Amino acid sequence: MDLSLNEDQLAVEGAIEKLAEQFGSSPVDFHGFALVSDDLDRELEEGGYFDIATIPEMGALSAAVSVERLARLPYTAEVALSMLVRPHLDMELPRPFGVIEQGRPGRFVATAKTLIIIDDDKVGIAHPTADQVEAIPDSLFAYPMGRLTESLEVKYLPDDVASTVKTWMRVALAAEMAGLMQAALDSIVEHVSVRKQFGRPLGVFQALRHRLAECAVLTGGVRWLALKAAWSGDAGDAALAALHAQDSATRLVYDMHQLSGAMGMTLEMDLHLWTYRMKALMSELGGRGGQAQVVAAACFE
Amino acid sequence: MNFDWNTEQKAYRESIRTFIRETLPENWEHIAHGPASREQTAFARDFCGKLSQAGLLVPHWPTEWGGRAADPWEAFILAEEMWMAGEPRGGQYMNVNWIGPILMLFGTELQKQTHILPMARGETLWCQGFSEPESGSDLASLRTRAVKDGDSYKINGQKIWTSYAGDADTCFLLARTSEGKNGISIFLVPMNTPGITVRDIPSIIGEGDIHEVFFDDVEVHEKWRLGEEGQAWEIIGQVLSLERVGIPRFSLASKTLRDTVALLKQEGRFIGAAVDQAAKAHAACEAARWYSYFIIDKRAKNIQAGPEASVGRFSTVICERLVSEFVVEHVPEAISGVHPMLLAHHQRGIVAGIASGAAEIQLNIIATQFLELPREAR
Repeated sequence: MDLSLNEDQLAVEGAIEKLAEQFGSSPVDFHGFALVSDDLDRELEEGGYFDIATIPEMGALSAAVSVERLARLPYTAEVALSMLVRPHLDMELPRPFGVIEQGRPGRFVATAKTLIIIDDDKVGIAHPTADQVEAIPDSLFAYPMGRLTESLEVKYLPDDVASTVKTWMRVALAAEMAGLMQAALDSIVEHVSVRKQFGRPLGVFQALRHRLAECAVLTGGVRWLALKAAWSGDAGDAALAALHAQDSATRLVYDMHQLSGAMGMTLEMDLHLWTYRMKALMSELGGRGGQAQVVAAACFE
Repeated sequence: MNFDWNTEQKAYRESIRTFIRETLPENWEHIAHGPASREQTAFARDFCGKLSQAGLLVPHWPTEWGGRAADPWEAFILAEEMWMAGEPRGGQYMNVNWIGPILMLFGTELQKQTHILPMARGETLWCQGFSEPESGSDLASLRTRAVKDGDSYKINGQKIWTSYAGDADTCFLLARTSEGKNGISIFLVPMNTPGITVRDIPSIIGEGDIHEVFFDDVEVHEKWRLGEEGQAWEIIGQVLSLERVGIPRFSLASKTLRDTVALLKQEGRFIGAAVDQAAKAHAACEAARWYSYFIIDKRAKNIQAGPEASVGRFSTVICERLVSEFVVEHVPEAISGVHPMLLAHHQRGIVAGIASGAAEIQLNIIATQFLELPREAR
């Protein structure tokens, strides 16, 4: 047992940190939902970061640490699926990735070169042309959402490969959620530390302090379960991590908005850039009920 | 990172399991409930002696005190297996986790020679004289007073909710020698000292667990004061940090959950809401496990965990609650004694958020020290 990053993993963490610093603040004139950064995508691509999971000294764990860190940015790019799912498929697939689950709109679908199609237990791969997908510009989710405009030709995967895809999608979801939760929490800790009411910072009131502390406990737990799942690649670990992430997110999303008061309802505060990504992730892969079914099958013999 | 145990750690865990299998009696499940019952306490004295002879009582202690300087991981593996088995060490787990180590750090030669080796042999039971009727979470307000009289102290006051006091040999007692937080001192007081009266308080945790302890003109020689006068708060800070992750409660909670699910499966009742609840509880147990491991990993690398210990502790409170609620809802007959080990977990689970610092105190620590939120001036 050794829960410290090795030297190679620390080096990647440092490099990602340096890269992330350039994208740490949102533009003051941005008042939308999905703050997409093509520059972030390009820098990650040029740095070879989408392939770090395939390098033995770094592995999926390094990728998960990177996904968590990058999810804390106000900007979004298609990172998690490319870093954690794509390397575990035994085929060359162009990125960015998107997901269509049960025919519903999905993240990054309008720009994806590879779509993962989930229909009940079946998982397939499709490569849409530009006229087969369209963006949904007025979605409240803080990812660029898109949908299909027509049926695609889908290559369904064998059961074992489908299972692998879902496992790594769960790891990706949990790692991304851990970063989103941490960023939302950090943002509200800062808010209640400076915002004064009744002559005192909000953060001195115990009713709020305890809620924030509980959210910190949940966030820490999600991060460790995500890292464990990235290390093991086990279906049960991945489902546990995704379940804990989706479950904890319900609490975080509500509390963080509640604690930011009316400011959190505006698009001038960045909070929604994290919480409305969390909301998008809450339903994926069957939501909590879907993860629970996998946990029941994999963890209770 | 490596989330797996190494070969030695696996073998060590297996050796503990073998010892437990070979040493616990057939009726252990019936003894195990009521975590401080007279029957279990008596059993623990015998069990800890055997554990000591097998080198499994204090492996992480220095060799001069009966250990073999094993690393914190071995101590934690041992604690996991013991707790999972229903804690057959009884109250002696406290000796192992913190009383012995604290005496090694702050004790005089006489105190160490008198107390540490009997602990290492599994011969002695301690109780923790901390809480008072008016001083629970606000421990620094305690009023039990130790007044210097020549080379002794005369102690008067009352302690309450004291576990194991009815059978303990010695009390790790906090008493006031002057005013304020820095006016509290620690005394190592034999429980048979004249002037000490112990009364059982009936409790939902089971017989023998909670007591009132009265101190009426109890005379204690100054050689049994641990540390300097007024040093208690500094020493207690270290005690509580060891205690917060000292009990791997998630291990028994996790086992209880698995056992409960197995029962439901046998009866074809592991469906619907039970699946969702069990999965959620399992995730909470694993979150508590990995956060606790993260703290032990720090300890193993000589890094101070600080407020993260409170995060680990609160994670454990969450999982204990979810598992207890799951059992109560789906196997209610366990609470009526049909499944003794589920009852044993239930009784231990009750105190998860209260013993060794209330859960809300942990949240205060997390808010102030971990999140660094502003706090009201005191």
